[in-house]
Amino acid sequence: MPKPIIRIVNLTKKFGNLTAVDHLNLEIEEGEILGLLGPNGAGKTTTLLMLTTVLRPTEGTAFVGPYDVTQEPDKARTLVGMAFQDPKVLWVSTPWDILNWHAKVCGIPSNEREKRLRWVLEEVGLWNERRKSVHTFSGGMRKRIEVAKILVQRPKIAIIDEPTTQIDIVGKHRIWNMIRSLRDEGSTILLATNELYEADVLSDRVAIIHRGKLLVCDNPKKLKDSIPGGDVIEVVLGKDVSKKCLEEVERMNRVVDVLSTKPNHLKIYLNKAEEVLPQITEFFLKMRIPIKSVQMSEPTLDDVFAHYTGLTIEEAEKR
Amino acid sequence: MAVKAILYIMERDLRYFFRYKWWLAGMVSMNLADLFIMAVVYTRMVDPKIGNYFLFFSPGITITALFAAAFMIGREINREIRREISHYMLSLPIKRWELAFGRVLAGAVRGIIYMIPLLLTTLAVTALLAGNVPSALEILTIILALFLISIGTSGLSITIAVSTTSFEKYVTTRGVVYYVLFFCSTVFYPLKFIESVMPQAFALIAKYNPLSCGADLARSFLLRNQSIELFMPLDLMVFALIFASAALFAYMKIMQK
Repeated sequence: MPKPIIRIVNLTKKFGNLTAVDHLNLEIEEGEILGLLGPNGAGKTTTLLMLTTVLRPTEGTAFVGPYDVTQEPDKARTLVGMAFQDPKVLWVSTPWDILNWHAKVCGIPSNEREKRLRWVLEEVGLWNERRKSVHTFSGGMRKRIEVAKILVQRPKIAIIDEPTTQIDIVGKHRIWNMIRSLRDEGSTILLATNELYEADVLSDRVAIIHRGKLLVCDNPKKLKDSIPGGDVIEVVLGKDVSKKCLEEVERMNRVVDVLSTKPNHLKIYLNKAEEVLPQITEFFLKMRIPIKSVQMSEPTLDDVFAHYTGLTIEEAEKR
Repeated sequence: MAVKAILYIMERDLRYFFRYKWWLAGMVSMNLADLFIMAVVYTRMVDPKIGNYFLFFSPGITITALFAAAFMIGREINREIRREISHYMLSLPIKRWELAFGRVLAGAVRGIIYMIPLLLTTLAVTALLAGNVPSALEILTIILALFLISIGTSGLSITIAVSTTSFEKYVTTRGVVYYVLFFCSTVFYPLKFIESVMPQAFALIAKYNPLSCGADLARSFLLRNQSIELFMPLDLMVFALIFASAALFAYMKIMQK
């Protein structure tokens, strides 16, 4: 059982009357990618800023490695590197200067620094622009510099806030691969995102937060399986199905509901569809009912969010 | 590591300072224009009892330039706070006091760098017109005194930048500080003149104003027209110490909300 490298205990942050983070408890294991998923305003960034000791908790605390962020913030920061949601760069700088200075402050020796800078700038596709002032850059290019800081630093704990907003799909995949390789090299990644797909494909575990509170935390597969009848199998048959057949399907293990949209068209709500599907096909073959087509769909993390909050992420953002 | 960290912070701030090199050159030119146009004109207009105003004003303009350049760090820090670049600075793996001290020192060094062409001009002007050439030790003492003013000014500007929540409040506070410090000082006019035309309280502020102490200390070496009083270096040290500490406190306690 891997030990937690970050332990968040009753972490709370209030800004006046607004409670941005509300008694949050969470453990992040060493070497994992934990996705912090929630709509805008859920308290993700505030949580990350408390972990990097930029914000002081109103109540509770967090342990980064062995260090309490409220008692030993200087030591806690030595383990952490953060890529911010909005690029934190002055417009008069160049990518090379920004990353070179960042590497120096993070204690990367000069013989290693140049090599690492070159590799990272090539990886994020900014090598040819390394001497250009960032004020000429697009939002996506500036975002890539922000992510590059983490890649240069290679901290024990990398905290990344919405790494791929404003980045095109090719760039997204590139950055996801870089985050994975950062993890493979030994970093623990805490990733805040409001992109469902990003959280799903990148995270070992996903913690869903809403209005500053943790709703649930588990691996994406288990989260999706936790929704009763979350999987859907749509079957189109060669002939109409009798009521008796429908009842037989309904009685199958893990099937939650069966809907007949047309006499030969069934919508089956169930869990672990991949395990039940062979049973269903076998049943129709035994009943001599030919199957014309089968379509299987899994619930998304949005369904998981909706299951726990009654709202989709989009709806939650609007409120 | 502490020295290294402080040097890295200073390096960053000095790099940004030199990115505006053409703007800085323009500002130095304007300060020189103040000296060579305004001071020359005023020399003909002011009471001859004051003496050669051009020579009197020359060290004053050096102090003005030093103050303006050292104060710039506050404007940048205030902008960083507004754009949340301060979050990045606060998240770096260095101690907060190292970060704060590095910024105070960087502001001070920027003031000195900007002031050097003006100090050289003042040295040349006083040597040519008054025939006074200070010794190397005297020049070093002037630079040390000016460095103390620069540290205090940098600290003061950082304290204001961190304590004010909006750009408007920052600009207003900066304006008030500029006005009070220069109006009640001997940078532009001698203490005797202030005593004769302004209320006693103004004269008292002007006497102990660190900008007055710096200007008068420089004048005593460059023009040899007045003696150095013991309170002057003490005043500068206290100014530097108080505002450097205030900046450290503000940066360490107020920035982390």
